Amino acid sequence: MARVSFLFKERLFAVTLIVPCFLFVSVFAFYPILYSFYLSLHRIILSLPGLEQLFIGLENYEQLLNDPFAMQSLINTIIFVFVSTFFEILFGLAIALVINRYFRGRGIVRAAVLIPWAIPTVVASQMWRFIFNDNYGLLNFSLFGADTALYRAWLADPLFAFAAIVIADVWKTSSFSALIILAGLQIIPDEIYEAAKIDGANAWQRFIKITLPLIKPALLVALLFRTMDAFRVFDVVFVMTQGGPADSTNVLQFYGYKKIFAEGLMGYGSTISVLVFLITFIISLVYIRTIGTRLFQESS
Amino acid sequence: MHTASVLASFFMKHFFPVLKTSTKFFFVLIVFMMFLPAGCAKKGDNDTAKIRFVTWKPNQPAVWDEIIDIFETEHPGIRVVRETGPHSSTAFHDLLTQKLKNKSSDVDVFFMDVIWPSEFAAAGWAMPLDDLFPDNEQQKFLKGPLLANTYDDKIYGIPLFIDSGMLFYRKDLLEKYGLNPPETWEDLVHIAQQIVSGEAKYGSDINGFSGQFKQYEGLVCNMLEYILSNNGYILNPNSGEPGLSEQPAIEAMGFVRNKIIRNIAPEGVLTYEEPESIALFIQGKAVFHRNWPYAWEVSNNPQRSKIAGNVGITKLPHFKGGKSHATLGGWQLGISNYSQNKDAAWTFVQFLTSERIQKLLTLKAGLAPTRKVLYGDADILDKYPQFSEMKNVFLTAYPRPRSPLYPSISNILQRFFSKVISDPDSRIEDEARMASLEIKKVLSLIQ
Repeated sequence: MARVSFLFKERLFAVTLIVPCFLFVSVFAFYPILYSFYLSLHRIILSLPGLEQLFIGLENYEQLLNDPFAMQSLINTIIFVFVSTFFEILFGLAIALVINRYFRGRGIVRAAVLIPWAIPTVVASQMWRFIFNDNYGLLNFSLFGADTALYRAWLADPLFAFAAIVIADVWKTSSFSALIILAGLQIIPDEIYEAAKIDGANAWQRFIKITLPLIKPALLVALLFRTMDAFRVFDVVFVMTQGGPADSTNVLQFYGYKKIFAEGLMGYGSTISVLVFLITFIISLVYIRTIGTRLFQESS
Repeated sequence: MHTASVLASFFMKHFFPVLKTSTKFFFVLIVFMMFLPAGCAKKGDNDTAKIRFVTWKPNQPAVWDEIIDIFETEHPGIRVVRETGPHSSTAFHDLLTQKLKNKSSDVDVFFMDVIWPSEFAAAGWAMPLDDLFPDNEQQKFLKGPLLANTYDDKIYGIPLFIDSGMLFYRKDLLEKYGLNPPETWEDLVHIAQQIVSGEAKYGSDINGFSGQFKQYEGLVCNMLEYILSNNGYILNPNSGEPGLSEQPAIEAMGFVRNKIIRNIAPEGVLTYEEPESIALFIQGKAVFHRNWPYAWEVSNNPQRSKIAGNVGITKLPHFKGGKSHATLGGWQLGISNYSQNKDAAWTFVQFLTSERIQKLLTLKAGLAPTRKVLYGDADILDKYPQFSEMKNVFLTAYPRPRSPLYPSISNILQRFFSKVISDPDSRIEDEARMASLEIKKVLSLIQ
């Protein structure tokens, strides 16, 4: 009898602990997602209330697939995700390897690495916009000095403007990848390296054969976070280019924002949000299925 | 779960080591408090009518305080409660439409940007004012702003002050080379080239022109001025069909792409909104500058501008065979359809747009009035002599396409204009055809 009530108490305790979290997630995650989906099945145009809130099934989705600008912004987003994630992991790895070594002032360097990540994206983007400015930007000054005739308007060039938002994003979030990879590096015991050294492995071999396989879980976690985050890119574009010039930096989230908040197309804009949600959801499922299980199995 | 827990404890230990559990709890508490709805207090007094006026944060708050004081003294039965929204037009639009969408009775009188009346009228948010604002009263106002407030032959707002595109130029440089301000865009290019190459001999790196060509609302305003002054149009005023792929519009866009940008204007204008473009001008790095009337104050302010006193102002040029067209801006007052105090609201709107108050606003805040008679007013001309010239610009000021779906049309136009002027290899005809199709698709929603 006492045992049953103990179990019951345990369960009750567990439930009380879970309920607040569950409520929080329901209100701030489940409800908005479901409501967006509900809205995406309707035609709602704020400036034409005479049309009423008409249920149109999947018509918005059909329209989205035939919208050349939406598809172009989807392509832009995908390129952005690939390029920025690639460089973020690459630089993150390099930074992590450096700050994992013992050297004087390591604490300061570690703190310094965190700075880009700690700066709000809007502020960082504004800073990069100044760096790329055509008249008083740091980039022009460092390349051409006082020779103002050579100064270029970087953000006026469709291709370079896209490169610029990638650069800003890589600068900002490489340190995030570095942190996660550093955590992975810290759990590798020194003895393995010592043993490898005795066996005559050089630095490159030690990196390829020991470091890389052992930090793979951390690398994959960083990759997962960065891919999903990069897919939802918005603030860099909003601050630096507003999608221009020539729509070259228009990404899916920004396109959806414009549809909802500027044009008042609640239904169609929600459809875009749902698409972004579905894509990030699928990416995370794929990651969790292919690497997540292995990741958690091998460590348990 | 080993890796995950290591990660978590690693973060806590290395980056937030100073936080004690109690501090963390405190943070959680703060987050929760942020989500608690703020308590609302309501006061009710029965004798006086209370009108709520949704306004933005003005540049000269003191004048507005003074005006409200005058109103409340003269109308003891009405109290004005100001609700201040964001300064940016787009953000203000979001706030105001949110309230109106909910049919909130918290709004009686509100400001409208010049591109909103159609949307507000079609949505049923703004109340038609024809009975209160008859023809003989309308005659006293500038025509452009009245047109902008008209939707389906009814008027939905009373214009309070006006903005319109104008050409600013370096008076000193034009005099130095013995030149007059340009009549046509072709003249403007020639004068700019002559002065730029002349000044280059003295080692100056001055540019010919600066304007606003970033992908945003201002780009539409700028491009409209070229297209309309070449007898082109965005929407055919008779048929309502898009006119972007017709010859005059195509020519005008080609001119901007090849003769203005990459020729007399630096490529950087493709990234400029108003602040960046005026910065170039007031640093003495541009001969010509297209902007709104506020640029007069800024460029003649010796504390901010290197060219104070050397600035001329005139109407925008046109193409040969065309007429000058300035894009219309400015703010109007509307009354909410859901207002409980429409009579008091109208008294207030009538008061604000009266000759006396417009004059006060012009003298103390530098805003350009909408009543024609004030452009002949001795006190105003004494303080702002350029207003006599400005009147001519305001008379030609032309509204952007009027449609409840203007925001959608504007987004299509921004994308299209940015494409044809920033990508020199794009085919204007093809892009124009595509943009026209998109606009037609949007317009078809209205039927």
